[in-house]
Amino acid sequence: MTSVVRAGHLAPYFKASSPVVSNGLKIAAAVPTPTDKLVVKPLPKTSTVQTLHGALPIQGLKVKAGAKVPVQVRFAHTDIAVPDFSAYRRKENQDPRVKAEEHVDGRHSFTYLIAGAGSVASAYAAKSVVTQFVSSMAAAADVLALAKIEVNLAEIPEGKSVTFKWRGKPLFIRHRTPEEIATEKAVPLESLRDPQTDEQRAQDPKFLVVIGVCTHLGCVPVANAGDFGGYYCPCHGSHYDASGRIRKGPAPLNLEVPPHTYTDNLLIVG
Amino acid sequence: MSMWATLNRNVFKRTSTFALAIASGTFFFERTFDLVSNTLFERINKGKLWNDIKDKYE
Repeated sequence: MTSVVRAGHLAPYFKASSPVVSNGLKIAAAVPTPTDKLVVKPLPKTSTVQTLHGALPIQGLKVKAGAKVPVQVRFAHTDIAVPDFSAYRRKENQDPRVKAEEHVDGRHSFTYLIAGAGSVASAYAAKSVVTQFVSSMAAAADVLALAKIEVNLAEIPEGKSVTFKWRGKPLFIRHRTPEEIATEKAVPLESLRDPQTDEQRAQDPKFLVVIGVCTHLGCVPVANAGDFGGYYCPCHGSHYDASGRIRKGPAPLNLEVPPHTYTDNLLIVG
Repeated sequence: MSMWATLNRNVFKRTSTFALAIASGTFFFERTFDLVSNTLFERINKGKLWNDIKDKYE
């Protein structure tokens, strides 16, 4: 009522358009409608997807409201025939009266067997691909063939230094005399620039195996020369002793000892 | 069908055992497959391989 009082000049329109009664409810407008026959289409004869969809009460729906008209919409599909899926079922599943647990193991193990066989095959293929890829990074066979040399130690006379080529570098093998061995073993470590004992450098004290590249600037030293009876680098005057250790001159390190092993009277370097 | 039941319930149903079965199956499959394919290759190329003509040169 307050709104009517406030909007005084509009009050006639409100009165005309919406009659207000004392309990605040609108008067129900009773509109008579003709009673049509209704509502859901009859079910089609053939149960295809399209006809079933057209029969659903979800589109083109006309519902008449009114006092005499039934307005319910049926969603219970008890009258729709269940589609026939037997073409898609496995043989064991065709009969709906058989319990599933009687044939579930056969069906499942067949499925898993197919999946497992596929996984085994693909795991094998993946392993082969990875192995080939990784082994392509390994050294080639011709490189590996050159990576090792065998030296017959009986051919090297005592007191001689023999030069071989190993991995593109000169390799010195020296058959040392007992005097040389005794001299090298007696050298005190404090007097050395690159302290290494003779035992660390020569597995077999009779033979010294070193790479013949001067550690100064890479010249090839001369054997059985220099102040210490070992090797002498003519380029800048580095003196190595009979154990290949730097004793005098500009070189900072001893001559490098490559990995080597002895078998019977064969020396294998590499 | 009881073999299938045992296989299904003990191996296939659990993912851990299934994966283990695949891994160990791959191990044996690799050996047999390599052996069979090598034998087949050597049978098809008989007479052309180094092993067949080796005795002429050694």
